[in-house]
Amino acid sequence: MNQQQVSEFVHRFLDASQCRIIEKTPAHTTVKLSPEADKALMGRSYYWDFVERTGAPAETMTLTLVFDPDAEPPEETRSTGPTAVRTLYVPGRPPREVITYGCRRLEQMFQTVRRQGMYVMLYEQPEEPDPAPPRRKTSSRPYTTWLAVNFKVEYACDMKREDIHSLGISLSSGEIADRFHSILERKNLTPRLPQHVHLRRGMTLEEAALRLERELERRVRAEDHRWAADAASRLAEELARVDGYYAGVAESLADEEERAAALAQHQTRREEIMWQHQPRIQVSVINCGLFHLWDDTFQGK
Amino acid sequence: MTPGNTRSISINEHLQLHFDRSWLAELGERLDRNGPWDSWDYFRLAYDAAQFSRVASFDELQCLKTLSGLEPLPHQLETARKVLHEMRGRAILADEVGLGKTIEAGLILKEYMIRGLVRKTLILVPASLVLQWVRELNQKFGIPAVAQKKTYMWQQCDVVVASMDTAKREPHRDIVLNLEYDMLIIDEAHKLKNRNTSNYQFVNQIRKKYCLLLTATPVQNDMKELYNLITVLKPGQLGGQGEFQNNYVVGKRQPKNQDALREQLSKVMIRNRRTEGLVEFTKRHVTNIPLRLSPEEQALYDAITDFVKGRYRSSGGDIGSILSLVTLQREVCSSRDAVFVSLVNMFKKTPQDSPVRQMIWELVEKIRAIRANTKAETAMKLVRDIGDKTIIFTEYRATQEYLLNYLKQQKIVAVAYRGGMNRGKKDWMMDLFRGRAQVMVATEAGGEGINLQFCNHIINFDLPWNPMRVEQRIGRVHRLGQTRDVHIFNLSTLGTIEEHIVNLLHEKINMFEMVIGELDVILERMERQESLEKKLYKILLEASSDDDIRRGMDDIGRSFAEARESYRQEQERKPAGSGAARTANKAARAEAGAGP
Repeated sequence: MNQQQVSEFVHRFLDASQCRIIEKTPAHTTVKLSPEADKALMGRSYYWDFVERTGAPAETMTLTLVFDPDAEPPEETRSTGPTAVRTLYVPGRPPREVITYGCRRLEQMFQTVRRQGMYVMLYEQPEEPDPAPPRRKTSSRPYTTWLAVNFKVEYACDMKREDIHSLGISLSSGEIADRFHSILERKNLTPRLPQHVHLRRGMTLEEAALRLERELERRVRAEDHRWAADAASRLAEELARVDGYYAGVAESLADEEERAAALAQHQTRREEIMWQHQPRIQVSVINCGLFHLWDDTFQGK
Repeated sequence: MTPGNTRSISINEHLQLHFDRSWLAELGERLDRNGPWDSWDYFRLAYDAAQFSRVASFDELQCLKTLSGLEPLPHQLETARKVLHEMRGRAILADEVGLGKTIEAGLILKEYMIRGLVRKTLILVPASLVLQWVRELNQKFGIPAVAQKKTYMWQQCDVVVASMDTAKREPHRDIVLNLEYDMLIIDEAHKLKNRNTSNYQFVNQIRKKYCLLLTATPVQNDMKELYNLITVLKPGQLGGQGEFQNNYVVGKRQPKNQDALREQLSKVMIRNRRTEGLVEFTKRHVTNIPLRLSPEEQALYDAITDFVKGRYRSSGGDIGSILSLVTLQREVCSSRDAVFVSLVNMFKKTPQDSPVRQMIWELVEKIRAIRANTKAETAMKLVRDIGDKTIIFTEYRATQEYLLNYLKQQKIVAVAYRGGMNRGKKDWMMDLFRGRAQVMVATEAGGEGINLQFCNHIINFDLPWNPMRVEQRIGRVHRLGQTRDVHIFNLSTLGTIEEHIVNLLHEKINMFEMVIGELDVILERMERQESLEKKLYKILLEASSDDDIRRGMDDIGRSFAEARESYRQEQERKPAGSGAARTANKAARAEAGAGP
């Protein structure tokens, strides 16, 4: 993630959370946070408790987010503070923070959107609200409901790699579409149910989810799993080493109690090694939603 | 992820595929209740966030992208890679002092955290290093580490730094042993050498996935210690106890089959050495500046010395009062302000009818006669000649105040730095020194986290008697990241105890030119019976002449030289750990055509 992407992401976040931009230069942005963003980012839960209990007017914080510290006057930013939240307070001015990939502030924004961007239900709507072709005006437009799921697939042993699969399935036909998120990105979507819509739903969510998982399973099976074979052989080797060691220890101990203790420790060490090396694939869901799209979504594309 | 929410499928005999299905129930519920639904904007941002933080490969170090202010050195990166990819997260990091073991551990921890392989982490360090670890992890790595203070923190905080002594005590012990740690890091791990100690047994019971043991001295006395250390990490790596003895050990400190041992060790231990040229430290230039006191100052010094000797003889050796007496002598070498404050305090504590009161009062009168401060004037001239950032160290608050005032009168911008300041103020003072001031007048050097590499001039206005404290002062500027040679100026007043101390530290111990990191090990050996500082006090108070003092100093110098010699010989014999960094380094040198 480069600074350009960081800046774009942060601005989209500020926009989505209804913050008010006060000043914007290529190098930094000064923003008055919305209550929503203030709660998510500033860690002032006591303050917000107080506001909510007393009904006092809320005063949200103003921040200056710096994206290009080199372009700033040197005493305005701290050159020493790399990745932690580094806030420079100057009386009478909003606190300044350098925002980079890996900094805690950006991580907070990631967490906020992850938590609050999990489940959606949206409808496709015309680009412009009214001037639809006259012949369609009276007839209702056929919609199909799609279940979209963004899966994260983690290939893990003592190390880990991840893939993201964005899949969509039509609840009426069972058709599965790949890279579904980028298709959705191009559409004009609204949370409000448009007029003249009738929804068709076929299969249950359960059924659709199962089909998506089967599709994912098919893809995963087709992958190269040498990494897992390697991990499994390392695991066997490590277990053999520990077993050998504790066999020796057990032999040397006459005392029954000491033996039991050694046996327990042996078991612990074995569990640790399994935990560390056992290859596994874990699939979790980043977010998902139901999207009501016009039937011609995929026709002629 | 509860099992009820997971569907598992076998891919092959050793690989399972697990689907987390908790999302499905939640989606269904929201559908039934007709909401609430999240925003499309957040949904898209969440997807992009996931893409940005995706770990695309098993091998590539992810943490580097997130560390914007830290530039690890090549050997630190190489070490991190080796621990991650070859040692699989269980290793002894045994770099010599000053090569950045903490950075290496931080890189490894951060990498695992980014990959989502480590969350719960326990870091056990000596009590004096707890805050330093917390700060380094926070500032350099953005890792939200906390110092353990309350009992609930063991469970609720993900990255906890604590002292071994705290952790192994009830009620903490029970809590720690009932948790499972994704990562366990132990600093100063050579303290785990003896398997009969409570430390060893405690650590051995902690459940851990990955484990890093940090030590600068993996073998101190006994090969068995190394074996024990490795057993914490990977039991059986060197075979059973008996096999190890048979295969690798001749005598206590003498290994056999060195190549085979080295090979085995290199699988669990990395030891980078300074002599490998991994880190280029700049040079130290030391200048002693002898001063002649003005007649009034000399008169004061002599009067104080007489007073001190007289009081020592009549005190009958009460250690408390002796220390404050020698302090008077040291203070008078620093500034009249320093000695004045102490005299006034002493006066207040003396009974009203005591004749000592009169003696003290006479000394105070002598202070009044002094018009100028020879040392301060010399320091001033030095600062002007240097014309660059300079740190002046003094032992005494009163001297510090005096110097700050004096510098102010001379229109030189100076900031203060002392131990009693809170963290925020210290940081602020460092920032001011970096940005606006030419001089920092500091009474404290020991505190962690003071990195002043942007400055390369030190004036020792007076010298501590503990060589480690002198080294700590220099270490503030002469460390990794210093790009220029470091200039050290020692001010010493002729014909005073200060002259003897400078002579001892500079000529006899030669401490200003020692290899970084060597001094603490040597001193530790030398001071097993009695601290150097105490020895000095004794010599000075019991000496009846300058020659006596000189002889005493010679003795100290000799025993230091012996300790150093034995340390250096051991270093030669020690089995080395890793070859990786060294080989890489050699290759790099060969490529550069420089040759070793």
